[in-house]
Amino acid sequence: MGKEPLSLYELNAMVKQALNESLPEAYWIQAELSEVRSNTTGHCYLEFVQKDLRSNNLIAKARGTIWANVFRMLKPYFEESTGQAFVSGIKVMVQVTVEFHELYGYSLTVIDIDPTYTLGDMARKRREILKQLEEEGVLTLNKELEMPLLVQRIAVISSASAAGYGDFCRQLEENPYRFMFYPRLFPALMQGNQVEESVIAALNEVNDRRDDFDAVVIIRGGGATSDLSGFDTYLLAANCAQFPLPIITGIGHERDDTVLDSVAHTRVKTPTAAAQFLITHMHQADESLEELAQTLVSFVSERMEKEHSRLTDLTNRLPLVIKNRTIREGYLLEQLIQRIHVGIARNLTNKKHRLMLLEQQVNDASPERLLKRGYSLTFKDGKVITDSAQLKPGDLIITRLAKGEVSSEVK
Amino acid sequence: MAEKKESYAQAMEKLEDIVSAVEKDELDIDQLSEKLKEAQKLVRFCKDKLYKADEEIKKIMEGEDN
Repeated sequence: MGKEPLSLYELNAMVKQALNESLPEAYWIQAELSEVRSNTTGHCYLEFVQKDLRSNNLIAKARGTIWANVFRMLKPYFEESTGQAFVSGIKVMVQVTVEFHELYGYSLTVIDIDPTYTLGDMARKRREILKQLEEEGVLTLNKELEMPLLVQRIAVISSASAAGYGDFCRQLEENPYRFMFYPRLFPALMQGNQVEESVIAALNEVNDRRDDFDAVVIIRGGGATSDLSGFDTYLLAANCAQFPLPIITGIGHERDDTVLDSVAHTRVKTPTAAAQFLITHMHQADESLEELAQTLVSFVSERMEKEHSRLTDLTNRLPLVIKNRTIREGYLLEQLIQRIHVGIARNLTNKKHRLMLLEQQVNDASPERLLKRGYSLTFKDGKVITDSAQLKPGDLIITRLAKGEVSSEVK
Repeated sequence: MAEKKESYAQAMEKLEDIVSAVEKDELDIDQLSEKLKEAQKLVRFCKDKLYKADEEIKKIMEGEDN
């Protein structure tokens, strides 16, 4: 009697018992979720996997279950803490008990979860994406774009049905300053696993008409915590970082920035806050315009006042200046007259002296005096003769003496 | 459209220039009123951009909705 075979059930029961005995506790494990399904009963069925770090090949795999009573609390707790939907593809740290069922085999029952591990893993992924973008030199490109002075023509990427888009438009519409805004919706899926693809498609659409817009706003209704992992992808971040218009994000979450937030020009929390940002931006433009206008008015009136007082000042000074000038001119005139008098007097005296001198000289040189000294003058036909050659025999000449004249004939 | 987008900034720049010229007393009184008039026009233009609906933009925004 060598063989007394066990039924399969008996063997499985033995495995079950062995497992129960040797692994009686609850264990914390780290694993990736490769499948997450929940059904109408509220239970959640999972598949855990572990991949080889280098080759990415599966090296371990286990089924898992979260019973409805646990899942009801665990899911919202996890999603609120991480901003990450409880879906396949994420890494989790869960506390499990090891089960073996005769029919269904090996499986892990989840009794608790530690969201910080997932958060850490997500943060690490985000850091890696940001690092890659930095290495490619595109990380800050969108931030470096200058926000136009007026941001009025706004391309809105959002889901049309979401409350967030309605809030955004209403907020813009009802802005207290009555500024004009021109929002235009480019619909995209804002949750689920098509976020990346859908938002990039919308961005491409905006890009095709980028001259028609001043900025892009990516918004999504807040409220219920839902999946943000779509905003943590490299491709979306790279698209946004290099987008030619400034991007404003308001994707409604409280936790750390998503990668999208990190590369966007401006990050705010909610759609309403995005609208508020735009209104404030317009208000600032308006204020600086107002300020300029005010400055101009005050400078102009200051200038006019200055000119006015300059004019008054000149007017006031004018009579005095004129009076002074008149006095000075009068004085100058007086001086001139004085100088003329003196000049004339001096001139007259000089002339008298000269005259006297000349008279003296004339007197000294007069023929009368010469005649008196015995000289005589000889005339022919009324002309003085100074050379005997002027005369010929027979000419009648008259000789004038100091007293009287003598007539003679030349021989 | 790109041109239109610029023009607010251009208007602001012109306005700044006028203000700075007035500030520095670079204008004589004859120019002053002329420049003031120009500045008023610029301010009105800018205000319109802020507060009045631009039908042209509206048309463009709605143009592709059909």
